[in-house]
Amino acid sequence: MKRYDLIVAGAGPAGLSAAAEAAKCGMRVAVFDENAKPGGQLFKQIHKFFGSKAHKAKIRGFNIGSELLAEAERLGVEVFLNAPVLGLYDGREILVRIGDETRHYKGDSIIVATGASENMLAFPGWTLPGVMGAGAAQTMMNINRVRPGSRVLMLGSGNVGLVVGFQLLQAGCEVVAVADAAPRVGGYGVHAAKLARCGVPFYLSHTIVRAEGSDCVTGVTIGEVDSGWSVIPGTEKHFDADTICIAVGLSSATGLLKTAGCEMEDKGPFGRLPVCDEYGQTSITGIYACGDVSGIEEASSAMIEGRISGAAAANYLGFLPDAALKARAGELEQALEALREGMFAPKNRGKIPDKTDEGFDVSMSLLTRGYLDDAEVAGYPGVRSAAGTHPVIECTQNIPCNPCQDACPKGCITVGENIVALPQIDAGAECIGCGLCVASCSGQAIFLVNEDIGGGLASVTIPYEFLPAPKPGDTGVCLGRDGKPVCPGEVLEFKSPPAFDKTGLLTVAVPQAFCGRARFWKREA
Amino acid sequence: MTERKLLSDLVPQPDDDMVVCRCEEITKGEIRRAVHDGMFNIHEARRFLRCGMGLCQGQTCGRLVKAIIARELGISQSELDDATGRAPMRPTEMRIIASEVFGE
Ligand SMILES: Cc1cc2nc3c(=O)[nH]c(=O)nc-3n(C[C@H](O)[C@H](O)[C@H](O)COP(=O)(O)OP(=O)(O)OC[C@H]3O[C@@H](n4cnc5c(N)ncnc54)[C@H](O)[C@@H]3O)c2cc1C
Ligand code: SF4
Ligand code: SF4
Repeated sequence: MKRYDLIVAGAGPAGLSAAAEAAKCGMRVAVFDENAKPGGQLFKQIHKFFGSKAHKAKIRGFNIGSELLAEAERLGVEVFLNAPVLGLYDGREILVRIGDETRHYKGDSIIVATGASENMLAFPGWTLPGVMGAGAAQTMMNINRVRPGSRVLMLGSGNVGLVVGFQLLQAGCEVVAVADAAPRVGGYGVHAAKLARCGVPFYLSHTIVRAEGSDCVTGVTIGEVDSGWSVIPGTEKHFDADTICIAVGLSSATGLLKTAGCEMEDKGPFGRLPVCDEYGQTSITGIYACGDVSGIEEASSAMIEGRISGAAAANYLGFLPDAALKARAGELEQALEALREGMFAPKNRGKIPDKTDEGFDVSMSLLTRGYLDDAEVAGYPGVRSAAGTHPVIECTQNIPCNPCQDACPKGCITVGENIVALPQIDAGAECIGCGLCVASCSGQAIFLVNEDIGGGLASVTIPYEFLPAPKPGDTGVCLGRDGKPVCPGEVLEFKSPPAFDKTGLLTVAVPQAFCGRARFWKREA
Repeated sequence: MTERKLLSDLVPQPDDDMVVCRCEEITKGEIRRAVHDGMFNIHEARRFLRCGMGLCQGQTCGRLVKAIIARELGISQSELDDATGRAPMRPTEMRIIASEVFGE
């Protein structure tokens, strides 16, 4: 039977990171994944990531995936694709399907990084073609280049629902609504605001009553729920739609850990998860779990957890001295802790603060309608009026993110040591209008405004990731934060140099009075 | 293991005919009925109805079935075990399982 120092099940961000870290210590490593392409969820993520430099922030997910894969291959990791791991047994032996055969391999250590699967919701009509997981829709669009439908209702306002909702718009679908049974938007406000300013309405405290259609989805009815999650009669709303995306959470794919006999514990809403030590080692010595399989988080944390488990496996087999493991794990844990802070941190789940860490009011409009109210915007530290071109930063929640600060060559933007702090504008620094902050903002929350360009006009620069690219002279209508038309807008410039990594900067001229409200631009139909 | 107890009568619900396990086409009503017939956990319901035993192996319906059983028993979902993890993790034809290679 073929033997490896380390066998990793799952080639997502966690598995590849674990493999690379272990291979770096000199281990012989094999990774098995059921898909034809490695990368797990990461290769579907076409948006720029949050976090700081240490977390590869502002890099698009699939590019992070390519880097990771190249690193693993350079270090001699063997990656087996189309290779589902069917079982994990005593003595750390795995059974893998390869082609028309099942093969056995032995690992002196095993890392399970099998990720998660999407939760489904049952409602009348949920088995009709056209009802799908949001992740499935994302796979169709971003991996297989197939548009899932033309009119989509998104159920779930967590980051997955918001991110996929925006990508559906980018793919040319109409998103008729984002609905969520919870009374508050579950994901980052900056993600919600991107959808809202494109005109997507949010229905909080709403759930799906039924999907309509006989052979496939032709419509959907949602209704408002009471505190007991029952639909209140008379609140039903109908939408014509051919697709319903479900984004109501993920469940850890713990099957292999269970076949191995790893001890599991009930973690309430997170489900039954493996009991792990600080390095991800399960109740069975030499078997580790990392990434979403050990608790749903995100790709950024999955990569760090993977590295910690990879280093621990190396230490277990004598490839990495105790002191070196301690040092490495210490530095990785610090990066992990930085991500686990802020308003959306796992430890703050279910709690909604009314003030930010800095004492600013948390916008209720953002949490219930998906956008900041025009009247409250000026109260945040990223928004100030100034002469000439200057940034307006509409990032108002404590989230772990700081690329805007690193981007500015003039020191106009400060987040500070603690990356969950709100970005603020330094009044003393002079903005040169380079646009780097706009392009590097993962939340597309930064705009450049020049309140007076002459002739009674102002200019507003908007991050723009849609095709076709606008051209100078194109006319259209500017939409407000709520997605409603506010004024006409003529394109002055559209820039998309390589350094902006495909975020276009669209500058439009608007009547001066509207420069504080125009936040999106739509071509004249 | 959930304590055996007598349940009150099965009250029909408007969505009882909704399919919950798509692979085996088992409805919500059938699952509720099975609980009243004494299937007090996922394992028993699976063996009795085959819900979660089809192609996707419960990946889609596992949580849904669990929620229905818990509600019917009036207990919290965390009191119910998940289905036992068993190989093969993915649907695999018998001829492939039979072509087992131990060497290189
Ligand atoms: C729509 C969406 C948007 C997201 N956006 C972000 C974001 O912006 N930022 C962020 O940080 N995170 C984001 N995430 C979360 C992030 O993608 C996941 O947390 C991360 O991918 C988890 O990594 P992982 O390696 O644990 O699992 P995965 O990426 O799920 O990888 C697991 C791999 O294992 C394979 N596998 C499973 N079982 C087996 C088996 N038995 N045999 C062989 N292979 C197997 C799977 O097919 C998969 O390839 C998003 C997730 C989704 C769904
Ligand atoms: S436009 Fe350039 S100079 Fe101005 S704040 Fe942004 S990064 Fe700094
Ligand atoms: S403004 Fe800065 S902190 Fe906020 S999302 Fe953009 S890059 Fe991140």
